[in-house]
Amino acid sequence: MKRILNSILLIIVLFFSACTDVIDVEVPTEEAKLVIEASINWEKGTNGSEQTIYLSKSTPFFDTNGNVPVVGASVVITNNNDGSFFEFNDQNDGSYTTSNFVPVLNDSYTLEVMSEGETYSAQETFMPVVPILEVYQSTEKFLPEVLEVNFDFLDPVEEENYYYIKFKEQADTFPRLLDFKDEFVNGNLISVFNERQENEDINQVEYAPGDTVNMELIGISKRYYEYIQLLINQSESGGPFDTTPVALRGNCTNQNDPNNFAYGYFRLTEVAKASYTFE
Amino acid sequence: MSSIVSAQETFTISGIVEEAANGETAFGASVYLKGTSIGGMTNEYGFYSISAPKGSYTLVVSYIGFQDINRELILDENQKINFQIEESSTQLDQVVINVDESDKLSIRDPQMSVTKVKINTIKKIPVVLGEIDIIKSIQLLPGVTNNGEGSGGFNVRGGAVDQNLVLLDEAIIYNTSHLLGFFSVFNADAIKDIKLYKGGIPAKFGGRVSSVLDVRQKDGNNQEFHLTGGLGTISSRLAAEGPLFNEKGSFLVASRGSYAHLILKAAGEKNSASFYDINLKANYNLDENNKLYLSGYLGRDNFNFEGGFSNGYGNLSGNLRWNHIYNDRLFSNLSTIYSKYNYDLILNIFEFDWKSSINNFNLKYDFKYYASDAFKLDFGLTGIYYNFNPGVIRPTSETSAINYFQLDTKKALETGAYINAEHRLTDKLTAQYGIRFSSFLRLGDQTIVTYENNQPVVYNQELGIYESGTPTGETFYNSNEAIETFGNLEPRISFSYQLNNSTSLKAGYARTSQYIHLLSNTVNVTPLDVWTPSGPFIKPQLSDQYAVGYFKNFKNRTYSLEVEAYYKTVDNRIDYIDGSDLIGQNTIETEILNGESRSYGLEILFRKALGNFTGWIAYTASKAEQRTLGGNAGGPGINNGDWYNAVQDRTHDVSIIGSYQLNPKWSFGAAFVYQTGRPVTYPNGQYEYEGLSIASYSERNADRLPSYHRFDMSATYVPNKKPNNRWKGEWVFGIYNVYNRKNAAAISFGQNKETGANEATRTAIFGIVPSVTYNFKF
Repeated sequence: MKRILNSILLIIVLFFSACTDVIDVEVPTEEAKLVIEASINWEKGTNGSEQTIYLSKSTPFFDTNGNVPVVGASVVITNNNDGSFFEFNDQNDGSYTTSNFVPVLNDSYTLEVMSEGETYSAQETFMPVVPILEVYQSTEKFLPEVLEVNFDFLDPVEEENYYYIKFKEQADTFPRLLDFKDEFVNGNLISVFNERQENEDINQVEYAPGDTVNMELIGISKRYYEYIQLLINQSESGGPFDTTPVALRGNCTNQNDPNNFAYGYFRLTEVAKASYTFE
Repeated sequence: MSSIVSAQETFTISGIVEEAANGETAFGASVYLKGTSIGGMTNEYGFYSISAPKGSYTLVVSYIGFQDINRELILDENQKINFQIEESSTQLDQVVINVDESDKLSIRDPQMSVTKVKINTIKKIPVVLGEIDIIKSIQLLPGVTNNGEGSGGFNVRGGAVDQNLVLLDEAIIYNTSHLLGFFSVFNADAIKDIKLYKGGIPAKFGGRVSSVLDVRQKDGNNQEFHLTGGLGTISSRLAAEGPLFNEKGSFLVASRGSYAHLILKAAGEKNSASFYDINLKANYNLDENNKLYLSGYLGRDNFNFEGGFSNGYGNLSGNLRWNHIYNDRLFSNLSTIYSKYNYDLILNIFEFDWKSSINNFNLKYDFKYYASDAFKLDFGLTGIYYNFNPGVIRPTSETSAINYFQLDTKKALETGAYINAEHRLTDKLTAQYGIRFSSFLRLGDQTIVTYENNQPVVYNQELGIYESGTPTGETFYNSNEAIETFGNLEPRISFSYQLNNSTSLKAGYARTSQYIHLLSNTVNVTPLDVWTPSGPFIKPQLSDQYAVGYFKNFKNRTYSLEVEAYYKTVDNRIDYIDGSDLIGQNTIETEILNGESRSYGLEILFRKALGNFTGWIAYTASKAEQRTLGGNAGGPGINNGDWYNAVQDRTHDVSIIGSYQLNPKWSFGAAFVYQTGRPVTYPNGQYEYEGLSIASYSERNADRLPSYHRFDMSATYVPNKKPNNRWKGEWVFGIYNVYNRKNAAAISFGQNKETGANEATRTAIFGIVPSVTYNFKF
């Protein structure tokens, strides 16, 4: 909702022949922090036993290499309900993997990462998601005569639900990310669509017949919803109708030094995937 | 010449001062007895009252731009004399900006931190797209800034946009801009003059802590029927004025509308943005002691987007006033006022619409008692009833996925009673002292949530963030109950000490309170932001402002210099927790923290007011900052509990304005502005997550955008100046931002969509913009 309104306002401002230019700006630099990308995804229809966690360091903002992998760390996830634990193996390239993870919906898990003398830990619950009911195309949802891909799902009425949605087509540099909560639509049949607009400046074209779009519907916790919503809002930040940007606080805390927290988030989510090829 | 009180009888002369040509009342004209220190200024309705001992005098009426009237009279009884002042032919078309109209009286007046601007001055300042704009013009004065092109509202002495009381003929205007700040809601054809109080707000005004912008509409020509208007690049105007009721009254109707959207539509552009406004004023003289006024305003903005959403918003206000002169010394005004601001957002794609509004009814009764030459008293009462509708969301079709939702409507009653004295203590020392008693009742017919530990927002120590508190229940208050009551005493004091005939020192202190707040967590306010009343979780803002000043006129009022320094603090200034989401938020208390703000600065204004070349240089050096501690919620607060720059902080602000009358046909205007860039929060690092490069940030508002500066020019050509011609026209050519500087309205950080590398993108709103406007008067 907030992003729709922000987009509206930005369109209005740009309507008045505002111009945008890429410029050189000097920005400050902070000390590097650890980044924990611990997304345990359980795709419906698989057993969810293969999981990967990525550790890296943050870098100065304009560095062309944004990915500095961290090796030599210890990564362990414990299931708090039954005490089982899973060690992740260091692949020496920043990724840590396991192939015997046991995902249990609604169980609580704790992640512990030890790296360079610091210990970070996070706790989350494994969030389920409803299945995708139908996938189809249309042209009349936003700009007329431009192809859109849609999928429907039924929001459970008896609980508060939060969703994280991704759309990616092969030609996209980045996936399109959406955050969604059921506050105004609880219990209803929800239809989500994505349309790609033509934009010569970035070589972007509309969807065309033959394009395949991969979609994910991910059930997330309220805490992760707040995190990902802020992340998405700030991914293009600094505009006049944005809020003051802030450092994203995930759930990975440093036990010894609260100020030296880790970026990223530890989440456990069930994922409904679908893919559609335009006709 | 000192106060000879006892044996001598005193008599009073009173009456109304009007412009001879059209009957417009003269506000701030000086009426004084030559050779004495006895005199005063006309009020908003042109009324004056002066009392003096029995004797013979020469009474002088003086008003810049008009010929002085000298009238010999014998004062041996109370007299009622009305004056009609004629425009001064040698000063036609001269632009003047002046604090007050008479040398001695302005120097002596303890009212400081105020600027009064005539509409003719504003009309000569070059503006973007040729659209005369009061709000942009006041930003050329010291102490007034705004967030740049494309932002609504204005900031006074480091204050926030919602801290300005903007009145149009006494009706509150909530949103002062059209099209997100590109144009103001004030149609210059309908406006007579404006007065901006930056500090030292007199006791008769209350409800906002930073400023009062008092805009008065013209009354309308009470002798002849006239049409005025203009055709501009973006919008056109048409106004009609004339006498009513056999010249016992007059009316003015002014309208303005944009048509850029029609042209674009014809060119195939599917999106459109447009605005219009209508101003109305009518008055009727019942008899020489009673006059009725009716004012009205309607303004609307509309956006329509091909993608299936449309947005409309605007102000509506009306005011019925009754001036009653009880006797020579007691003037009163009773006003009944209604104003409303609302917006509608219709989203066809999601099949719902969203409406929000704020309404108020206001009753004011103001008196001014001219007790003696050295002592004047004003007092009065006001009551405002508010109805806030923060939003109702309605599905517009059966298949809409959106459920109906109504955010809690809120009601409140704000009252004020004041008394204020203007007292000439000695020949050199004059004081103004007063007090305002204000109160605010937040009324019921609403459910208020209660929270664990009385903490609607709470600090999560482990994650280092602020989160919503845990609700423990609800309390329902019915419409007869007050959910919360507030009361404040607001003393207002100022002094003026006259060093000599042309120089004075002034000092003042004012305490003001503000009971309603604009909720906006974005850098610029948007038309979708919502006003909210104080209540159990939001306290009234309270401000203390101290100011000192030095004022001097040179060379017979040709030049003047004003230097003022101020220090202002505001308690209970709210700010928003990180990641706050206000859209559709019914319990705002879970997103805010209570903080404080402070600002201080030095303002210098040097003016040349008379002659073929006029203009001014304004310079302000200032600081505005905020601090928001955790308070009841625990934790360090925002930005670690340290002071951070307010978004409106501008270290340096310079405006240089010039206007030159070359000959009766040609005149030129120029303006140069320079401001330190707006505070922003820049990223200080990046990391990868979910396939994206994420920026990290630290200290709030510690960096700055590049500085803002531009130069504008305009030329006005009056084709034939035969005074007998009924039709008068002029062409105004303007160039805004002559050297095409791309001033950054915002700098956003993100990844290049093709390469993925991080880059900074500057958004600039206006480059060089030429314009042509044709103005006419018939």
